[in-house]
Amino acid sequence: MNAQSKLNRIGEISDDDLARLMKIAQAGDTEAYTQLLQEVTVRLRRIVRRYRGFLTDEDIEDLVQDILLSLHSVRATYDPRRPFMPWLLAITRNRLADGARRYARTSAREVNTDCLDVTFVNENANKTSDVFGKEELKNAIDDLPAAQRTAVEMLKLREMSLKEAAAVSGMSIGALKVATHRAMIALRKMLMKTDEPKY
Amino acid sequence: MSQSTENLIRKLAQDSAPVRPLARSWIRAVGWLTISGIYLAIVVSLMKSHGLPPRWDDARFILEQVSALAVGFGAAVAAFATTVPGHNRGRLAILLIPLAGWLGTVGEGCINRLTQLGPRVLTLEHDLACFPFIALSGTVPAIFMAFMLRRGAPLTPRLTAGLGALAAAGLANFFLRLFHPEDVTLMLLLWHVGGVFVLSALAASAGRYLLNWPSITPASENAAR
Repeated sequence: MNAQSKLNRIGEISDDDLARLMKIAQAGDTEAYTQLLQEVTVRLRRIVRRYRGFLTDEDIEDLVQDILLSLHSVRATYDPRRPFMPWLLAITRNRLADGARRYARTSAREVNTDCLDVTFVNENANKTSDVFGKEELKNAIDDLPAAQRTAVEMLKLREMSLKEAAAVSGMSIGALKVATHRAMIALRKMLMKTDEPKY
Repeated sequence: MSQSTENLIRKLAQDSAPVRPLARSWIRAVGWLTISGIYLAIVVSLMKSHGLPPRWDDARFILEQVSALAVGFGAAVAAFATTVPGHNRGRLAILLIPLAGWLGTVGEGCINRLTQLGPRVLTLEHDLACFPFIALSGTVPAIFMAFMLRRGAPLTPRLTAGLGALAAAGLANFFLRLFHPEDVTLMLLLWHVGGVFVLSALAASAGRYLLNWPSITPASENAAR
């Protein structure tokens, strides 16, 4: 089955099929559980988008992941003799309500500030482009050891969180922090050699 | 599907150890009641020498005790049911029947005593050991209840914790009355019944600390996000 037909199939199976998958997943079947979570994710994304249409795609994805984690934590509460969707919807409603409370709390505490480009009195200190060329920086990153390069690419260039980077790279959060720290020292040394800073 | 959600699904599937579906709420309540009952029976047998024998020849006393036990059992069933996503909340109203029976028998006894003996039954004097007994003897069943409730979903933490405490305190009160079968006075109503409801209210207010999603989601799974 190719990827496109597999993707088309997701979201088409019935409640009975979901109940059957969940029953098998409760017995520890990894494949059934993966399929169930994929099917459920499509539905969840649709539900969350319908009820929280004002959120960004990233926030919607966060909520979907919250619900998936909750589903996973309480999968023992599902009774295979009962329909699956009411069980899932009860968890979804609860997590959406929690998400709304969390959103209200954080937005009440957050203070929006302007993002200022200038941070130092010395003008040159605010212009990294004058200090290092893009090409030099790219070459320097390419010369880093693999682990350090991965850490810099994920955390600094793609701006992933430590948790996300750890999940994608397979490195621990501690290892990522160490690799980033070492990469910064190495980059500084490399760039200092090739181009004396102008500040 | 976003990359991080795909990764999360992969991680969750990898960590999916087999789980046994939870038994039905009433079966779990029977299990809790049996173990808590054995514990409380031992406590009561140790305390019996300090009290009076139960008045099994008094129909009102028997009705009160049956109602109190039904409240304990019904509250336990309701507490477990609230941790199952998709449960029918309307069924929780059934708990009102034994609750009405319990309050009715205690209230009726109180009014009878008032008409027989006059305002002197309104005295505030009472054996103050009752409330600590309910609190202390109810602690072990309450801890056991909390442990069982945490296996479910924390959908309504305050309601669940309140019902759990009502079950534990109600059961403790049932056993207390076995060696403390004094006549029902206003103060007995306040200390016994009031004590049970105060403990339930305290537990309900702490519900969100006892039962919440982050505490039942292992850190390793959160890190997978």
